Amino acid sequence: MAKQQPRVDAVIVGLGWTGSIMGMELTDAGLNVLALERGADRSNADFAYPKAADELQYGIRHTMMQKPKQSAVTIRRNLDERALPQRKLGAFLPGDGVGGAGAHWTGVLIRPTPTDLQLKSFADQAFEPGVLQDDMQIQDFGVTWDELEPHFTFFENVCGQSGTTGNLRGETQEGGDPFEGPRSEPYPLPALQDTQNTEMFDKAARQLGYHPFPNPSANVSRAWTNPYGMQLGPCNYCGFCSRYGCVNYSKASPQTCILNALKQRSNFAYRTHANVTRVELAADGKTATGVTYIDENGEEVFQPADMVILASYALNNVRLMLNSGIGQMYDPVSRTGTVGRNYAYQIGGGIHMYFDDIEFNPFATAGATGRMFNDFSPGNFDSASHGFIGGAKMHSSQASGTPIKTPLPKDTPSWGQGYKDALQKYYGHHMKLSMTGSVMSYRTNMLDLDPTWKDPYGMPLLRMTFDWKENELKLSRFMRDRLREIADVLKPDHMEESFQLNGDHFKVTSYVSTHNVGGAVMGTDPSNSALNRYLQSWDVHNVFVPGGNAFPQNFQANPTDLIAALTYWSAKKIKEDYLKNPGPLMSRA
Amino acid sequence: MASQPDNMSRRAFLRGSATLIPTVGLAGGISLTAQADEPAPNLSEYQPVFFGEDEWSFLLAACDRLIPGEHAGSGPGALDTNVPIFLDRQMDSPYGHAERWYMEGPFDLDGSPDLGFQYPYSPREVYQKGIAMTQQYCRQEHGKRFEQLDGDTQDAVLKGLEANDINFASLGERQMQASDFFSHLLENTKEGYLSDPIHGGNKHMAAWKMVGFPGARASYRDWVDQHDVEYPLGPVSLNGERG
Amino acid sequence: MTARYLIPLLAGSTLLSSMPAFADTDDIVKRGAYLARAGDCVACHSSPQGKPFAGGLGIESPFGTIYSTNITPDKENGIGSYTEEQFAAALREGKRADGANLYPAMPYPSYANLTDEDVHALYAYFMQGVEPVASQPPKTSLGFPFNQRWGISAWNWLFADAEPFTPQASHDELTERGRYLVEGLGHCGSCHTPRGIAQQEKALGGDSEAYLAGANLNGWWAPSLRAGDGDGQGIESWDTQAIVDYLETGRNVHATVGGEMTSVIAHSTSYLSERDLMGIAQYLKSLPANPTSDDAASTEAREQSTDETAAHLTAAKNLSKGERLYIDNCAACHFNAGEGADRVFPQLDGNSLTNAENPAGLIHTMLAGARPPATSKIPAQLPMPGFSWRLSDEEIASLATFVRGAWSNDAGPVTAEQVAEVRDSLGDTPLSRAPDPNGSLNHEDGGQ
Repeated sequence: MAKQQPRVDAVIVGLGWTGSIMGMELTDAGLNVLALERGADRSNADFAYPKAADELQYGIRHTMMQKPKQSAVTIRRNLDERALPQRKLGAFLPGDGVGGAGAHWTGVLIRPTPTDLQLKSFADQAFEPGVLQDDMQIQDFGVTWDELEPHFTFFENVCGQSGTTGNLRGETQEGGDPFEGPRSEPYPLPALQDTQNTEMFDKAARQLGYHPFPNPSANVSRAWTNPYGMQLGPCNYCGFCSRYGCVNYSKASPQTCILNALKQRSNFAYRTHANVTRVELAADGKTATGVTYIDENGEEVFQPADMVILASYALNNVRLMLNSGIGQMYDPVSRTGTVGRNYAYQIGGGIHMYFDDIEFNPFATAGATGRMFNDFSPGNFDSASHGFIGGAKMHSSQASGTPIKTPLPKDTPSWGQGYKDALQKYYGHHMKLSMTGSVMSYRTNMLDLDPTWKDPYGMPLLRMTFDWKENELKLSRFMRDRLREIADVLKPDHMEESFQLNGDHFKVTSYVSTHNVGGAVMGTDPSNSALNRYLQSWDVHNVFVPGGNAFPQNFQANPTDLIAALTYWSAKKIKEDYLKNPGPLMSRA
Repeated sequence: MASQPDNMSRRAFLRGSATLIPTVGLAGGISLTAQADEPAPNLSEYQPVFFGEDEWSFLLAACDRLIPGEHAGSGPGALDTNVPIFLDRQMDSPYGHAERWYMEGPFDLDGSPDLGFQYPYSPREVYQKGIAMTQQYCRQEHGKRFEQLDGDTQDAVLKGLEANDINFASLGERQMQASDFFSHLLENTKEGYLSDPIHGGNKHMAAWKMVGFPGARASYRDWVDQHDVEYPLGPVSLNGERG
Repeated sequence: MTARYLIPLLAGSTLLSSMPAFADTDDIVKRGAYLARAGDCVACHSSPQGKPFAGGLGIESPFGTIYSTNITPDKENGIGSYTEEQFAAALREGKRADGANLYPAMPYPSYANLTDEDVHALYAYFMQGVEPVASQPPKTSLGFPFNQRWGISAWNWLFADAEPFTPQASHDELTERGRYLVEGLGHCGSCHTPRGIAQQEKALGGDSEAYLAGANLNGWWAPSLRAGDGDGQGIESWDTQAIVDYLETGRNVHATVGGEMTSVIAHSTSYLSERDLMGIAQYLKSLPANPTSDDAASTEAREQSTDETAAHLTAAKNLSKGERLYIDNCAACHFNAGEGADRVFPQLDGNSLTNAENPAGLIHTMLAGARPPATSKIPAQLPMPGFSWRLSDEEIASLATFVRGAWSNDAGPVTAEQVAEVRDSLGDTPLSRAPDPNGSLNHEDGGQ
């Protein structure tokens, strides 16, 4: 018999960005809120200068990341392959502990475009029937730019977003992204300073007629005090962002932007090392009664709650829904069920360029320094004529100069004196041109429960079925050709390419992206979405699931801004309507 | 927020306002007088904790081929920078014990290598079995232990491991391939060479000095806008050693 | 879990008391709670594990331990049987109900200025708004002659002055409100006014140059609060808003609080209304700054030396040991120009702690780190790490010597012996633990 804790108004599973935001919003509404975090507690002091500047511990050994021991994913590329557990992290690096991935992210804070939110409507209008793959399952988000805009603006103020405005209330601004959706307010802070590669990329991109703008950044360019009274120090370009906690408190994170304020509230509490294994449902299956978790002593505990917010990582949110029987599990053959449907990812590629005589000083940087351009986002170019839908963020970023990860040309020896010579020759003389591409959703890219492997508590592992599809490989080739044109302008002494091309399959062994999305997507039609447009489960009305899981397919930029805006959007509806009259916020009809 | 002051600051505050009793010594706690800088040990005097004597001899020889010292060309080598000490210490870290990894069976060894490693060994076991297999191979093929071979032959053996030309299965190890062991050895050697000296390798930050990485300084706001200029300062380690 | 007292802030309290004498009791209790915040009574009259105002905080001294008393309304152990008159005598004159003298650790020479209305409100709060606690703190028993409470009478006759507050016509209403709080409940002079031969504060009010002129407290320099209207260093360069920000949140465009003042802000001044804080700021600005030798240096000369240091650090050639240590340990947050960052990282150039004659406070901060208070307006806590694990006594001495002479700073060198002395006095310093190369993050406090 599980131990039982006193009831709370709302229990939040996971204390990263979405959990922290929901914590603020629901305590604002006067609810008694408890967050359960399965990892360790972490505060700013844990990263204090210079502790976090340790490549081995954080960059290589992944001290801030989830432990596969606790939550591995099994992976296969198609329905016929036997999925195998990902025994150590590789392709993606979900966070662990208080702050979640929000503590170790790079800090690129960018909005989607209005088109990205309504991609299906765009496709119906821009593509002839039959042009796109028939197993593609793209959908609109069910929420519009105008509905989300205030929430983007607020979260960007929470983070001290630094950058250059491109479209202020419909008017194009010099130096910003002319393709961005209209902003109601300019960026809170000016852009970060430019590194050497930034300057070179900017010049070459302009020469080719593109519209580069500073990477929108949550590494703040100036000291910032946010609407919660939380503070960020000015970025000092220490070069330890992605995979690290910030030594200088300059990167927006739940720690720097929310948690001290949240912890001051007497109607908020949190427990760490509390691993939620399932959401408990009432006998009729229509409402949740709370959650069951394993505490740090290995004891099972029932936490009753009137509302359950699944605010864990996207993959784990889906797994919790599946393990709890919330909604129907997706079946790719009959195309029925919605939980696990439309898992999507991001596709990357780039050109490594080496310049013998240019000093890049790659250690003097921030995760989000650099330039990007959106000339190849959906709607901004004619991708139909190339036979694919989607787009890419084209950029040059220099996220870090840590030496274990020094990129070296493939034709240099990997050991012996030749390796040492290459290190000396190439360290600090490298620059990368990158594309980050959208990934559409497909019938057989999906999540379900693994039939074989279990976690330490006996719960089935999540099984991911994912591979690159022809549409994305075409996109990748097209973007490669555009990046080649930029490289031709820059004339490196040596260069090599790394792209997914025809015949390539998804590999889990090297890093791709931690932008795993979908699986419990939002929408307006319960037959193809697990959540309604307020991130409420269609099936269990007191369960809300904010996170990347809600994206019906992925777009070409970084997801944090959209995830946060959706969370505020959901919280607003909860506060304004749901609490007054708990029940489904949209009818299934 | 607790509204009460914490012990330390309250005592300190009271001390400040206690007009008649000005001198107070704070009680308790550890006295932090130890200096951060402990001199890096000499490799020749180091007693390995995890590796046995034979394994240690193999590692010394192998590391010297993977990242050779000045005898081969410019730049310090793995032995100059205490990389074997790093490896020994890693074996006793959470990494050595595979503490973070999913190590539950079944272990399906027939899947695609693109789905990641599936053998049931922690890095400690990878090293123990890998070194034993390699020594067995050297004895069978050359009648000597690895460390007794000349440099070119050692290189040939390492290449054989790297390319799976040495067949571990035929030597009795059926769950792990030679290249699995080699990739651990090579990756960890590079980590020891280029990581902070706090982990035992990169003695006196020699590898950082070679490439021009300033270490844990983590502070370049006054430098980021100076483009295409050689950075003038040597590195600093987490423990504050200056190079 | 510690018991908590959530005391709502009073919006816009006005000069002295605008409350009618027989206002609603709840309002009087609230007003008393607010005044107890202004007096920071909880700081001394609570022990770490104890309940608020139950006393028992011990201070070790060479003469024995002195314990604060229980001032909850418990009749047996606290002040529950005090009449309002007895309560007033304790506050203003340092007289216990039985007529014995209190040790002047209790700042009654300052509280002497309290108006009858405020004494009444405080009395109402302590009798009705505070939970009685039936616990007897340990008895203070000092050795001779410090156990002779009668001696304090003579001290009182010499130095204490039970004069209620009388407004000065030369000040506006808000400035007078500030003076009332600074000289009275705030008892700022306890730390910031130099002491005379008998440990008395040399002045209890702003009519003397010595008042709030800065004082040494066990090595920490409690800087001058005579803000004046000049352009000198430290508080002289702060405007009224900067003073308000500092008292409300522990940080402003120039500085971040450190040392003993952290607790004062966390538990007292951050609870005061903006209007009261503005009054305090105006009053401090009304106190003429005392001339210092530094006045010889013109603003231009100071700016020039600031620029020179910044340029030298940025070029990073021919660095002294102290300069190199600054780049490797401090510049990440305080930057090459020593300017810190607006409201987040304190400015070292012109900083009063950095330039204090006695460097102990600076050394302490370098070794042990500092953590600003979390206040309701600014809950953020961006801690400064301590460097005791990373830097030797010699290194801290070189570094401190450099920062005390860098930019426009002009304070004396620091020796390794001075550093060793401070290091020896440190207890456990959570902010200066060495990183664990094999481990998880060494986190200090748990959930809930």
